[in-house]
Amino acid sequence: MKKSLSVDFCGVRFPNPFVLAAAPPTDSAEMIARGFDAGWGGAVVKTLGLEQVEVNLVSPMMAGLKYEDKNLIGLENIDLISDRDIREVLPEVRDLKNRYPDQVLIVSMMAGTEDEWKEIARRVEDAGADMIECSFSCPHGMPERGMGSAVGQDADLTYERAGWVVEAVDIPVLIKLTPNVTDMRPIAQKVKEAGAAGVTAINTVKALLGFDLDTFAPLPSVWGKSTAGGYSGPAVKPIALRFIADVAKDVEIPVAGVGGVVTWKDAVEFLLAGAGIVQVCTAVMRYGYDIIEELTEGLALYLEDKGLDSLAELVGKGLPNIVSHEDLTREHTVVASVDEDLCIGCGACVIACRDGGHQAIEFRGAGGDAEGLAPENSEGGSGTAVDEASTDRERATLAPPERIPVVDDEKCIGCGFCRTVCPVDGCLTMQKREEAPA
Amino acid sequence: MSLKAVREQLTEEGRTYAPHEAVLEASRCLMCEDPPCNAGCPAGVDVRRFIRKVRFGNFRGAARLVRDANILVGICGRVCPQEMLCMENCTRAALDGPVDIAGLQRFVGDAELADIAPLPEIAERKGRVAVVGAGPGGLAAAAELRRAGVAVDVFDSSDVSGGVLTRGIPPFRLDPAFAEGELRYVERLGAAFHHGEEVGDPVELLDSGFDAVFVSTGLWRPYRIGLEGEELKGVMLAGEFLARVAGGDPADVGRTVVVIGGGNVAMDAASTALRLGAERVYVCSLESRDEMPAFPSEIEVAQREGLEFRTRTRPVRIVGRDGSVSGYEGVGIRWKAPGALVPSNAEDLPGTEFSLAADCVIEAIGQGVHDRFESLELRENGLVRVDEETLATSVEGVFAGGDVVSGGGTAVQAVADGKRAAESILAYIEGIHDDEDDGEKGGERR
Repeated sequence: MKKSLSVDFCGVRFPNPFVLAAAPPTDSAEMIARGFDAGWGGAVVKTLGLEQVEVNLVSPMMAGLKYEDKNLIGLENIDLISDRDIREVLPEVRDLKNRYPDQVLIVSMMAGTEDEWKEIARRVEDAGADMIECSFSCPHGMPERGMGSAVGQDADLTYERAGWVVEAVDIPVLIKLTPNVTDMRPIAQKVKEAGAAGVTAINTVKALLGFDLDTFAPLPSVWGKSTAGGYSGPAVKPIALRFIADVAKDVEIPVAGVGGVVTWKDAVEFLLAGAGIVQVCTAVMRYGYDIIEELTEGLALYLEDKGLDSLAELVGKGLPNIVSHEDLTREHTVVASVDEDLCIGCGACVIACRDGGHQAIEFRGAGGDAEGLAPENSEGGSGTAVDEASTDRERATLAPPERIPVVDDEKCIGCGFCRTVCPVDGCLTMQKREEAPA
Repeated sequence: MSLKAVREQLTEEGRTYAPHEAVLEASRCLMCEDPPCNAGCPAGVDVRRFIRKVRFGNFRGAARLVRDANILVGICGRVCPQEMLCMENCTRAALDGPVDIAGLQRFVGDAELADIAPLPEIAERKGRVAVVGAGPGGLAAAAELRRAGVAVDVFDSSDVSGGVLTRGIPPFRLDPAFAEGELRYVERLGAAFHHGEEVGDPVELLDSGFDAVFVSTGLWRPYRIGLEGEELKGVMLAGEFLARVAGGDPADVGRTVVVIGGGNVAMDAASTALRLGAERVYVCSLESRDEMPAFPSEIEVAQREGLEFRTRTRPVRIVGRDGSVSGYEGVGIRWKAPGALVPSNAEDLPGTEFSLAADCVIEAIGQGVHDRFESLELRENGLVRVDEETLATSVEGVFAGGDVVSGGGTAVQAVADGKRAAESILAYIEGIHDDEDDGEKGGERR
């Protein structure tokens, strides 16, 4: 039987932990409805400002980082909050909530003064939103006006503004924080003290995507000019995990995790790091709302495989294993080990260790150990016997014997870099080093 | 079949990677330590390095690296049997199939075409070399010699360069116009070409002032079987047949074609006949499928295209009606003794006689050397005898390589020979000019 993925977060029941993050995919009721129809458990309506706030968009506003054949390792945007009129959007929120009572509707918002924050929060609550998410974290466009990440980088401003919103409404309030700080914990602590229900982490990472080599224009080039923007997508996942884990472990406040999730495996990692729900944006923009199917199905099968009854059992499960560097053991060490049966003899580990490590790995060479050496090619011909022989031969000699890497245990410091370059799963592993005989 | 349809059928097949496809394929390269692909290239192309350049977007650098090692960049990308060379050794084969080195080299050949490729700075030096034969071997030697600053004259009896590349390989495998364009690089390096000039005895070139001669004239004398009915209209020799196709004047092959032979030329002729509109094409070879000298990849392609094989058979006669071919008769054979795949070792198997209706019979049983090298010592099979290391012939100052020595190999092997011969020639002429500088006369060295 398929596992239920429903989860409670900040007192709100989510049919599944996957929520569309505040971004272009949530900029209209029509879009969000398609997302809900596809199976998303919730959505954060793209950030709203008050009607008098001017939103001056530029174009283009997005550019992707390409690496070899992968054209969207990361995405940089210089988009702004929604340019839609709040007076149009809020009725849509009410309508959506009526049509999708089970899905969780969160509205993201941004404002300046206390009055503005309170006003917009009340109007959102009145529209029937389940939760509010306050953006204290947009890294471009808003900080210049004293909003966005200018708030989220300052613990006191965060405390003050979070308090205004919490005071104004009864529904749970999430504060979306910026990773453009050295440590998010003091800020998350202030969010907690201000009475907010939780934090959303992380917003985009402030970045400069690149340059056009012909025009020298930074990217995305707006008529030859650009500005640092917000970076998202798979490239930021490790950064997101670190911030989420920091906050979940040390501040003990619910975290809506966001930043680079593409697959259900990413989502599991977010849960392990302490995220209670998982928001997704860039992957949806790229692959469409349908990827929810892979997220929910993959996660349900994982629960089944692990024999877990609910998602709650996973949340924060990895946190106790995150310790300080000095608390890591020095008792046991590892040493690189090559599975000769799997090795294809590319020598990537040889290069990696020679030029990026400690010169501990070399090809065995012609004069090396002859064990596993293939029989000489037998006479040609056909028939089962020969086919079997050739299969055996292949098995014995995936790599030519002289190209099997040999690890010098004395030189190997167990850094593990070689393992990261090996193209064959499970071929190069780090094995516990046997204690040297006394 | 209309002329237009024929032309379309003969147009070069496959296509060159788009840049993003090339990067994707190149990123499959494991960038091995001590890369085995490199060891597989007779021309000494640094495969790993050129693929790395493609991977990181340095397409022109890749083109230059390959061209420096092998002037046949795009050509070898199209015609090399890579599955037997660099790609056979590809480490990635053990994982999920070899990197498409051939396709990448084809891409690189287009990335910076030979007519705009930068030329090396050439420091001219003493020495004048004649190259006889503008095929892959001769041109590779000419390029190496020019790069070293030696004056080079290339002689070829044909009016186009390329030898078998432009007159033997069917245009659907290699566009002759592309090949000619790529080969003009050798002219740009400063070699003087004498097309349409038949050279008699290469040794005479030494007397007319050349310091050394490189002979790489290939195999252009077709063998004939000597069959009953060979004089009939519709019987052709593969070499002539393919040369006419390459020249844009294909012969009419009718509906049913029999090709006799089991080598690459036979496969090319048969595949070409199919494209010229033949409905059935039979390949009748003495050898079994495994014994055929054709590259496995060519046999595979031929089979996929629908050629019908009659292997381990021997031709008996060509049947005619009103002076034209109307049929072909053959008989199954077995080898009297193992090992020797030659007609004299074949023994008819009674009861295996067969006859095929045919409009055209193409003989593709191999080619030999033109017997005009009277002063050069030859081997029993008529091929030129050379020192295996230096490619020097029996006559001092005359070197030879390519098919005229090997009896039939690949273009890239001929390139390798040309490069090796150039090296020997450079050492040789350095020696004689040193002698001249010492005051000795160079004319009596023979």
